[in-house]
Amino acid sequence: MELEIRNISVSLSNKEILKSINLTVENGEFISLLGASGCGKSTLLKTIAGIIKQREGSILLGGKVLDRLPPHKRRTVIVFQDFRLFPHMTLAENISFPLKMMGVNKSECRKRAIELLKKVKLEGYEDRFVDEISGGQKQRVALARALAADPVVLLLDEPFSSLDVNLRKDMRELVLDLQKEYKITTILVTHDQEEALAMSDRIAFMYNGEILQYDKPENIFNNPVNTIVADYFSEGTYISGEIRDRRFISDFFNISANKDNGRYKCLIRPAALKVSKANDSDFEVVAKVYQGDNYLLKINKKDSNLKLESILNEPLDIEEGDKVTIELDKDKLIFIPE
Amino acid sequence: MNKKTPYILIMPIVLLGVLFIYGLVNGIIQSFGYIPAFDLRDFTLDYYVKVIKSPTFLDSLKLTLQISLISSILSAVLGTILTAALVYTGHTEGKALQIIKLAILIPHTIVALFSISILSQNGLLARLFYKLGLIDAQTDFPLLLYTKNNIGIILGYLWKEVPFVAYFSLSLMASINKTLGEAAENLGASRLKSFFYITLPLSMPAIGKAFLIILTFSFGAYDLPFLLGATVPKALPVQAHIEYIHPDLRHRPYAMAMNGLILLITWIMAGIYYLVTNSKKIKGDNHERS
Repeated sequence: MELEIRNISVSLSNKEILKSINLTVENGEFISLLGASGCGKSTLLKTIAGIIKQREGSILLGGKVLDRLPPHKRRTVIVFQDFRLFPHMTLAENISFPLKMMGVNKSECRKRAIELLKKVKLEGYEDRFVDEISGGQKQRVALARALAADPVVLLLDEPFSSLDVNLRKDMRELVLDLQKEYKITTILVTHDQEEALAMSDRIAFMYNGEILQYDKPENIFNNPVNTIVADYFSEGTYISGEIRDRRFISDFFNISANKDNGRYKCLIRPAALKVSKANDSDFEVVAKVYQGDNYLLKINKKDSNLKLESILNEPLDIEEGDKVTIELDKDKLIFIPE
Repeated sequence: MNKKTPYILIMPIVLLGVLFIYGLVNGIIQSFGYIPAFDLRDFTLDYYVKVIKSPTFLDSLKLTLQISLISSILSAVLGTILTAALVYTGHTEGKALQIIKLAILIPHTIVALFSISILSQNGLLARLFYKLGLIDAQTDFPLLLYTKNNIGIILGYLWKEVPFVAYFSLSLMASINKTLGEAAENLGASRLKSFFYITLPLSMPAIGKAFLIILTFSFGAYDLPFLLGATVPKALPVQAHIEYIHPDLRHRPYAMAMNGLILLITWIMAGIYYLVTNSKKIKGDNHERS
């Protein structure tokens, strides 16, 4: 079902947390709310679920206004960051809980709980208690319980943040598989840009209670609307300059750019810079940092403040102190209007 | 911090502990009839046997159990309702909490005076009912104090124990409601269902402990039954006090035997509570393993 958020503003303890948020999520779409801690993404999720009341604005689900509907009637189910499983119930009872609230009989509840446990690869765990399972297993149970509630919108509040890296990858795959199978409109709250890029159909980047950009992962990564969005995905070096007649002109370089005339900042991310060894260059490698799959080279230009970074995929014979020439990949340069 | 500082800081509690244990052991020894100062030097169970066989003791025991059980059950129920009301209206700190603390701070003797000035036939309520024409004379106001139904004593206990239960369980219930109660509502439970299925069962350990504390306290307390109780039968602690202040000092072992029995019954209550809560845990463990 399509979810529409219209001009939502939320204040908590007289502090404005959300400022006129507008967002539309298509039926069956998977979107991410991405941003740093405290930007308001979890507040927006809880507002959608009806746990936090908005000061103004409306939430529409399938064209129907939800504003006056209490949380238990919304079917906008959250998988909480801290799981919030009920410790006095078995896993089957936890998963059965929303079914029990719907009036489903006991045997049907158990049957459905066992089916869902199988879906999240926890077959045979139905009679265990919450304190008998690991963090990753708790996450799976929380997901199964949310699915049992037959949600119209599934809200995932940083569900993978407490899991280790390997488990996180497995859980991401499981969530995506289940989301595709059940075709549920899903909103993921995360501060992990890689997670958002890998999982989402669209990403809403939030900053200071506002959505700065809402776009497909490729677009938001390659065409950030401002330096805040750009820096969140990957930092780099900004060069100020001007575009005139499809050409970017700066103190350091001139390069063709398919943009309208005006003042711009050119963002040079490490991936946009290629280096090769040369003895008569102004650029010097000041650090070479091993990153597992590649090396990060930190390069300074002689007699200027210009500092650049480059990724070295091959273990080339470039070491700290070496002089290098640089080559810009113009397709990977990002121009942000000033 | 000086190495000696922790030992100095712990001294007051150690001294109090020593005094408490000395009094307890001394009382138990005296209950067996050994008080050399009164020329009683034989260890015997006779005083216990005589106390247990006395019809006054059985009446007093029955009365004391009745008062403590009724007041504690009512306090636990009303205290839980008060806690839930505070949690669901968002009054878990600030003024509401101060009012609750104030009610707990007022001593039982003052509560007894309040009860007399409000609930007696010369009290505030009787006068109000008479002024409003609801009763023909102040003496028509129902007798609540000094009666065999002990309503006055029970109301006196409720005054302090209802806020005590609320204060004791408030923070736990508030935190459960904020996290798991919120999750339950998000999963389709109404506020009422969320309370009965999640918040209340998970708050029961705190409510149960508060119940045990007020049950054992009211079973051994002397002041309210003494000030508001009927002439006969008297509550067990009152009966023990009467024996204690008997002009014949050789009656002292009877008082101590009664205190010994109060102590024993209190321990039995605590033991039953422990067994009941522990058996629940064991059942849970078995369930987990099946």
